[in-house]
Amino acid sequence: MVAVTIITGLCLISVYISYVAFRKGFTKTADDYFVAGSSLGYFVLIFSLLASFLSAFSMFGMSSFGYRLGFGSLYVLTANLVPLGFLWYFMHKKTFLLGRARKWMTMGAPFGERYGTPMRIVLVLVVLVASIPYVVAQIQGIGVMLEAMSEGIISFHMGLFFVPFFIALYLMMGGMKGAAWVNAIQGVFFSIMVFVLFFFVMMKNGGFVPTMEMVMAKHPNLFQIGWAGGKVWSYPMIFGMAAAMCLGCVCFPQPFMHAYSSRSARGLKAMFLSFGGICLVVITLPTLVGIAGNVIVPGLKGVAADKIYGLVAAATMPDWLAAFAVAGGFTAAMSTVNGLVFGNAANLSVDIIKTLRPETRSSELITIARVFVALIMALCVFIAWNPNTPVAELSIIAFGTVAVTFFALWGAYYWKRATATGAILSTLVGVALNVTFFLVGGKAWVLFPQRALLNMNGFLAAFIISGIVFFVGSYLTTPGKTEEKSLSLFFHPVLTK
Amino acid sequence: MTSNKKKNLIFLILFLVLTVFCWCPIGYGSYGKVGLIMGMPSWAFYMLVIGAVLFVIEWVYLFYTDLALYDEDLEEIMMALEKTTTTQVTIKEEN
Repeated sequence: MVAVTIITGLCLISVYISYVAFRKGFTKTADDYFVAGSSLGYFVLIFSLLASFLSAFSMFGMSSFGYRLGFGSLYVLTANLVPLGFLWYFMHKKTFLLGRARKWMTMGAPFGERYGTPMRIVLVLVVLVASIPYVVAQIQGIGVMLEAMSEGIISFHMGLFFVPFFIALYLMMGGMKGAAWVNAIQGVFFSIMVFVLFFFVMMKNGGFVPTMEMVMAKHPNLFQIGWAGGKVWSYPMIFGMAAAMCLGCVCFPQPFMHAYSSRSARGLKAMFLSFGGICLVVITLPTLVGIAGNVIVPGLKGVAADKIYGLVAAATMPDWLAAFAVAGGFTAAMSTVNGLVFGNAANLSVDIIKTLRPETRSSELITIARVFVALIMALCVFIAWNPNTPVAELSIIAFGTVAVTFFALWGAYYWKRATATGAILSTLVGVALNVTFFLVGGKAWVLFPQRALLNMNGFLAAFIISGIVFFVGSYLTTPGKTEEKSLSLFFHPVLTK
Repeated sequence: MTSNKKKNLIFLILFLVLTVFCWCPIGYGSYGKVGLIMGMPSWAFYMLVIGAVLFVIEWVYLFYTDLALYDEDLEEIMMALEKTTTTQVTIKEEN
């Protein structure tokens, strides 16, 4: 019950912080509610962006991945994210500058101004479809861990309602500012707890090197690439997963929302740079904890391995400290649900409702966004009811799907010849291919290299084809009035630096 | 080619090469048995080091060169962009 008490306490603190943002009047206008009035300083930005991406996947999922698949897992979410420092900067520098000049509030805005309303709506729907598996993964992770930590007092299904209820509550109240404050505090908390857990797990067997030598003696394949006859962690598998996760990060709503919320250029750069650096350390640790888990709690398979984070904590730490360590993982999951659900609710209300009904007032938009928060959360709880795919795999599928919008975004900012037809076609073809691969071959086709796809995984094949469609589609069509008109703003000479 | 363009190109090449290394153990990892460095397979250790090097280079690019965006530039950029936006609106209204 200690764990449940701590987790409930953290949920209540989060709700209280959001309530303070609400009381201080940070949610009065749409600009305040959706982008915090572009007022966030860089400490809050760094930890809020970090927390909005680091999730049940990074804590529970990566330890599960490390436990099942070994050191190759480090290519999924550690050094492969360091390139985001420059990728985000190049892709979102214009998001920041144009967003401030044009008072953008959602990720659909640049697509709408550059390619027109149809692309804006397509994008919002694609991002929503891609976000759902990721949010489901978080909620599923929360349910699994809550059941394990409460020793069955709170069942998996009850756990699905428990934390999402609090998240919906504080999102609806505090808007972007409340969410960013909560994210920042949760980000600091789980970063500290990961270090504490790592220390205890490694000290259980005399330190990091002796622990890894024990694991290697029992499971040498976990230290190799290309094991299981070259199937697990082959070069194509590593490249496909590493690229999917990194490029997916560029295209999710969080970097857009945080770029709009940034007070300064320095804060923007610090936020983008820090993310990869912090991931390099903070996500490596739970992965190593998972690998070490093979000699502490052996024999877990499939979805059951998602519990390894909590189980090694319980096996190596005093009860109260283990509860704090797992609560760290919970806060990571909460902040990601928070970031994604908020981003999507903002997209739906501003990019779709406001576009279709321009006379919608600011206060009505806020109410509509709050309703969308509740609806998205309810849908994800419903889908998570019967879990049959582990958290890590669900998350990679989500990142792979959203990454197909990469070309449309790049074209919007850096290619004058890009057309709306090219952007829409490439996005739809990319998503359709991801969905088809999943329906035809299940998660194996999306995640693992297939001979039929020239030894690429489904994500990489869909991504490359989507790029080809974008270039060919743009060359074969003529830029319309919207694209022509947008050039003076999107390619203004002052944006070249 | 101007000095800034040259510098940009050098950074871009560095970013791309190191990104490939961060995304794939090509050139520093091979299938099968492997030696350990500090308890980790050698390729995992090298990958983390490459990640750290890329991080430092990004830091230099963003904060210690004149190639990136700085707060001092913001006012001028915003004024120019707002002028463009106003011109667009005026033309639209006249039409």
